[in-house]
Amino acid sequence: MTIKLPAVAFRNIFRNLRRSILCAVAIAVSAMAIMALLSLLETMETDMATNLTSYYTGEVRIRHAEYEKYERYNPLHLSLDTEAVISVASDVGGVKAATARINFPANLYIDGQNNGAMGVGVDFATEQAFIDFSAIVDEGRIPKPGANELLMGKFLAHDLGLSLGDKVTMLTSTALRGSNAMTFTIVGIASFPVGGLSAKTVYIPIDRAQYLLRMEGKTQEVLLLTEDGYRERDVAQAVETALEEYLSLETETRAWKDLNMMYSFLSIAKFIYYVMGAIFFVLGSTVIINTTMMVIYERIREIGTLGALGMQGKELTRLFLLEGTFISIAGSTLGTLVGVLIVFILSKTGINFTEAMSGVDMEISSILFPRVNWFTALYVWIYAIIISSLSTLIPSRKASKIQIVEALRYV
Amino acid sequence: MSKRIIIVLLGLTILFLPVSLFAITAQEIVREMDAQATFETSYATGSIKTVDRFGTKESTFKAWSRGTTDSLIEFTSIAERGQKILRTKGSLYLFYPDAEELIRMQGAALRQSVLGSDLSYEDMTEEKTTLDDYDVTLDGSETVRGRDCHILILTAKTRQVAYPVQKIWVDKETFLTWKGEYATNHGRLLKKMEVLDTLVIDGRTLPKETRIEDAMKSNSATWMMLDTLEVNIPLESNLFTLENLTW
Repeated sequence: MTIKLPAVAFRNIFRNLRRSILCAVAIAVSAMAIMALLSLLETMETDMATNLTSYYTGEVRIRHAEYEKYERYNPLHLSLDTEAVISVASDVGGVKAATARINFPANLYIDGQNNGAMGVGVDFATEQAFIDFSAIVDEGRIPKPGANELLMGKFLAHDLGLSLGDKVTMLTSTALRGSNAMTFTIVGIASFPVGGLSAKTVYIPIDRAQYLLRMEGKTQEVLLLTEDGYRERDVAQAVETALEEYLSLETETRAWKDLNMMYSFLSIAKFIYYVMGAIFFVLGSTVIINTTMMVIYERIREIGTLGALGMQGKELTRLFLLEGTFISIAGSTLGTLVGVLIVFILSKTGINFTEAMSGVDMEISSILFPRVNWFTALYVWIYAIIISSLSTLIPSRKASKIQIVEALRYV
Repeated sequence: MSKRIIIVLLGLTILFLPVSLFAITAQEIVREMDAQATFETSYATGSIKTVDRFGTKESTFKAWSRGTTDSLIEFTSIAERGQKILRTKGSLYLFYPDAEELIRMQGAALRQSVLGSDLSYEDMTEEKTTLDDYDVTLDGSETVRGRDCHILILTAKTRQVAYPVQKIWVDKETFLTWKGEYATNHGRLLKKMEVLDTLVIDGRTLPKETRIEDAMKSNSATWMMLDTLEVNIPLESNLFTLENLTW
């Protein structure tokens, strides 16, 4: 029997337009939701990667080999020689930038009360490759080397009732396992993208941190950025080997992806979302399955007639499969386009997680700006079509198994 | 009755008088213990050595005291040179050369470790007014480092003290506290102290070397040693004031 199946299938869609629209909408809603979810997750992943490499670990982090083992004791004496380590590490192929940082727990003594904070000693000059301080300083300026000046997180300043020009005494434990305190003037207030940083950190010049912590010439860690085209793990391995070879120094030199559990969780979460996406589409497809089955039962006499006229079972299956596929294409296209539109609007307005993230210690920015990823859009579109179309295969196969005589007797 | 018989009877009476009539009470022991450790004024130099998982750390200090409540410690070792701890009645202040204000320690902060040692700020500047803060009972006697000692149980009257329960071994002759175990109300051991060496000043026996172990820290112990001790010496009247601290 010669018949143009796609044309017939396409025409059949309009035989009950409202039902076809319902099917398409169910698929469209699934596609739209998955498109928006994946875009948000990708944005979170990218944002977290940027924050981790900028504010926390660099792309490669070098620490004393034993530091992590005793980390809960704040073992600042397990330090590195700043100049020697940076000099050797910078000469390793693939290293683009290096900076020294000292992170230390501190108490800010205000009106007779100790207020917990996280101090960070940084070299503001070399930090420019990692953190664009000028972009995050809301008020004032960056502290000058050699001066008892600090840059304070915006929320911390607000919580403590401090402003530019105020003095604050910082009390902390030293690398010699004693205690020390120094008074600093607040010269800058910064809005860090991560709420946790704005709520608890103060940045001081590294030379002042070394003096306060009795770590002259030493640093807690050296962070590296890598050149494009180099794998962080390879660079970390090369730097570790170089430090051992030239300085006889055993270090814990690791790539940032190996240091951050949360990032690994996010990657796992992304996979889970893909699985969830498939489940969403299958759920959306139940409408198509149901509709196709109803159509088959409604048209059973027609199927019998077509069979009597010589249409093969396989052709009948293809006919209903094509109907389902056309509806899937329409639904997926609509859903993906609406999803892209939503993401585009959110990329301009942003999603504010400040309230939701307050008190949550996670390296994700308080305000996220999802970006349209055309690869994701294409993926969602194809994914939706394939799963929805395959779902119609189950009822479509039933059409091929109908006995012609039985079908013709069916009223 | 002959004179001889009277003397014999008197002797027998004294011999068989209840022992308790002569026995010293727990309160008297503590009062004497505090008195032996308190001078009108004193000046000492010494060191604190702490051994923990990271190695050995030694700090040196100078210390002045007046009466039962005032004390001032100034650290002289390079790492913490110029840092001071002042305790006057009811208050404890820290002075750091690079800080523009004094830091007043209060509440739980007083129990923080001094220079990472097993000593807390309260331990360093303890007031010698034990009976004001503790009820005391006698719990027998025991020999410590060859010395016969009373065992005393001190139970805190208030919550303002670092150690709710103390068990101390006090020398029956010199009233030196040779050993101490400090615990919570529930009997959880917080700290242990033992005197390893003594010196005699002004007829009183005082600790020269003391070992302190914080039960909350593993693999850690602190030795506090006195190199010199002068007592009842003239001290400037403003030595224990906040104004003097910031100079």
